[in-house]
Amino acid sequence: MASMCEATTRVLPGAAIIELSGEVDGSAATVLTDAYAQAVTPDSDPSTVVLDFSAVDYINSTGIALIVSVLARARAERRKVVASGLSPHYREIFDITRLSDFIELFPDLDDAVSQLTGPAA
Amino acid sequence: MTQVARPAPGRPRKLDAFELPSEPGNERLALARVAESVQGLGLSDSRLEKLKTAVAEATMNAIEHGNGNRAEIPVEVEVTQNGDEIIIAISDQGGEASGEASGKTGPAEEPDLLKKLDGGQSPRGWGLFLIRNMVDAMDITTNGQRHTIWLTMRTGGAAHGEHV
Repeated sequence: MASMCEATTRVLPGAAIIELSGEVDGSAATVLTDAYAQAVTPDSDPSTVVLDFSAVDYINSTGIALIVSVLARARAERRKVVASGLSPHYREIFDITRLSDFIELFPDLDDAVSQLTGPAA
Repeated sequence: MTQVARPAPGRPRKLDAFELPSEPGNERLALARVAESVQGLGLSDSRLEKLKTAVAEATMNAIEHGNGNRAEIPVEVEVTQNGDEIIIAISDQGGEASGEASGKTGPAEEPDLLKKLDGGQSPRGWGLFLIRNMVDAMDITTNGQRHTIWLTMRTGGAAHGEHV
């Protein structure tokens, strides 16, 4: 099944940003893994990984599992994960699954970036 | 003013019935069609989103665990209104195999995020947990090979954890 998920990455001082769009489901596994590998390198070595969901319109249980895997990997590497741009429905799912206990949620990417790097970034 | 269709209590009204090939991704078709069939029944936007998630997850289970991703075996979906309840029945032909996947014939381990993060549980296994938390009631029946998950959503009220 072709993935309906796309990811773009960029690196700021101290933070790697993964902007997702489309559908985060089982078919997004490679996209997410590749995006993480691109954003988190020995050179960038970010203390925080930002997952931006502003352009995501669907997340299912398999997508939640992928997010759990990203979080597990980041924790093992002693990195923090934050998320931005979740709709109210998916914010609630992050609460129900307790992902929001481990992933700080921001309303949008600008909020997340300014919190992490300061307003001048 | 929005008109809300309310049949007399005790007289169920079938809103839609359809089949889908058991192919990964077809849960999106199920949620779109169910959303269309319950339009105008008075579900709030947030409760409609919950219902859509529950329908998608139940359909995914039916496609994957029930019918083994065999496209030629359809997943059947029926949408009924009974008073202020919307009832969605999603059926596959997985019999006991579906029961095991759904925890009906054996204890399905409750997802524990900390265990998942520490490698003590698979990262997967959220489907049934999500369904239970999205709708007002969930029931599972197995009759021979036919395995059905029943989702009930009231047009008023609040699902688990929802504040109104």
